Amino acid sequence: MRQNIEVDALARVEGEGALYIRLKDGEINDIQVNIYEPPRFFEGFLQGRYYQEVPDITARICGICPVAYQMSSVQALEAALNITISPEVRALRRLLYCAEYIESHALHIYMLQAPDLLGHDSALSLAKVAPDVVRQALRLKKIGNSLLRVVGGRSVHPVNTCVGGFYKWPNKDELHNLVPELEWALEASKQTVDFAAALDYPDFSMDYEFVALTRDDEYAIYDGEVLSSTGLQVTATGYDSAYLETHVQHSNALHSHTKAGSSYFVGPLARLNLNYSQLRPAARQAAEKAGITLPMRNPFKNLLARAIELVEVCDLAIELAGNYLPVGPSHAEIKIRAGEGAGVSEAPRGLLYHHYIVDDQGMIRHAKITPPTAQNFAQMEADLWQYAPQVIDLPHEEATLACEHLIRSYDPCISCATHFLKLTIER
Amino acid sequence: MIKVIGIGQTMRGDDAAGIRAVQYWQAAYPKSSQQPNVQVLIEELPGLALLDMLVGASFVVIADAVRSNVDPGTIHHLEITDLATFKPGLSSAHGWGMAETLALIGILGLSNMPEQISLVGIEAGDLNMGLTLSPPVTESLAQAAALIESLVTGVLATKVNGN
Repeated sequence: MRQNIEVDALARVEGEGALYIRLKDGEINDIQVNIYEPPRFFEGFLQGRYYQEVPDITARICGICPVAYQMSSVQALEAALNITISPEVRALRRLLYCAEYIESHALHIYMLQAPDLLGHDSALSLAKVAPDVVRQALRLKKIGNSLLRVVGGRSVHPVNTCVGGFYKWPNKDELHNLVPELEWALEASKQTVDFAAALDYPDFSMDYEFVALTRDDEYAIYDGEVLSSTGLQVTATGYDSAYLETHVQHSNALHSHTKAGSSYFVGPLARLNLNYSQLRPAARQAAEKAGITLPMRNPFKNLLARAIELVEVCDLAIELAGNYLPVGPSHAEIKIRAGEGAGVSEAPRGLLYHHYIVDDQGMIRHAKITPPTAQNFAQMEADLWQYAPQVIDLPHEEATLACEHLIRSYDPCISCATHFLKLTIER
Repeated sequence: MIKVIGIGQTMRGDDAAGIRAVQYWQAAYPKSSQQPNVQVLIEELPGLALLDMLVGASFVVIADAVRSNVDPGTIHHLEITDLATFKPGLSSAHGWGMAETLALIGILGLSNMPEQISLVGIEAGDLNMGLTLSPPVTESLAQAAALIESLVTGVLATKVNGN
């Protein structure tokens, strides 16, 4: 008999939330991705803080993707204060972002989503049958954290980023010494693509509107313009009028929609579909070997996109770390002025928008942060309206796991979006 | 090297009990906590990085809040081998907790790990938002610190060379 699906505390997601799929007369009547993690009011308590405190405060929004919060915030503030950063600073920021991608993607691929695809209830049971896989994941994650420590000053919540650049240049030898480990990581990433390509993904796809940053000259992560698969392309400044947030009663996270009212998809799959041609040769070769065809519209294959991106960032990190040569001041000189600015970057789980208004004393008067997971919530619910009917007649436990897996494939970071996740199907 | 590790989220009430117990021990027992071969580590949410924190130590004490449906403030002394039977209380909201992380040592055959890992668990009561511990947990800190002290001095006494 069909039953409601109720998951009061979603596991293997970052943060706390629930999923409820409620039936009426045997048909699906209501679907809610319910975010009960309390709102965190970051935008509120940034008001009245000095602009230079912002990257350190916003980094605390997330333990998995603090770099993303630093990168979007410094770019927004540099726009507000009319600061131009040096090419060396930009290169180092890209390297710092690589570190975050390595640790975040390795964690999600192997520890969070792979157990679903391999029929395990956790990475622990996976470790028992495939210890090499989990060992590889731990080593990859550690390399990401080591790189974060050397460039960012700390392996979690880095402290070296400032508006204008970095507080100090990282030690050259320490960074160069990481190259052999990064070379190992690149090979491990290629194996990860082989691993990801061989997995058996649920057969499901949606005609998504994909939204991601784009650049002509590189696979956009650190900066770029906001491109939609509909063809709409806006700058960071234009984001706010093209993508709107609304409050929904069942969630402490806002939901995002396009101006036309449709849900959209941000994250690895969006980036790969929109920016495939900008991938570096190593990642492109790995993707070709995996035999992918674009556009990929199966959300579960976010894992495959993540694996290809892992090759991209390891390959890029080797180049950036190997070529690192600190010259000149590590940060630009800043002349405080009143201003307003927006910044966008690609967090591992999708586009992250920051907007600030600064007064003539350098104090924050207004802050707006739109995290990737908040942008994906409406899409997750839309997916479930299509996916739940396909699985609702499976044995209850299997149906519940299938719906949870769909949510997990987005790598939702609920803590960031609340501004805890649970799953419930009521029949 | 002996490492004494306190973990838990300081903003979630009694979840901070492990960290507070280690800090109480540091203040109350400076003679052993300040030994050159004793290292104190405080980490709110180490996750998998807990494994990296263990590297290079021969003996480790980990203090953390636990839930096993006994009275708040009850002190548990566990060895790593006890963890399998102590499952629901040690898991975090993310479906992955200290027990799972420590279990990886054996499953993956990780090297350079401590010979012995002892756990000092403090039964949590109130895990709601807030920087303060509940009264029964606050009262139990002296007992938790005394247990940490007995574990550390026990090892110090046997390691004449201080390795």
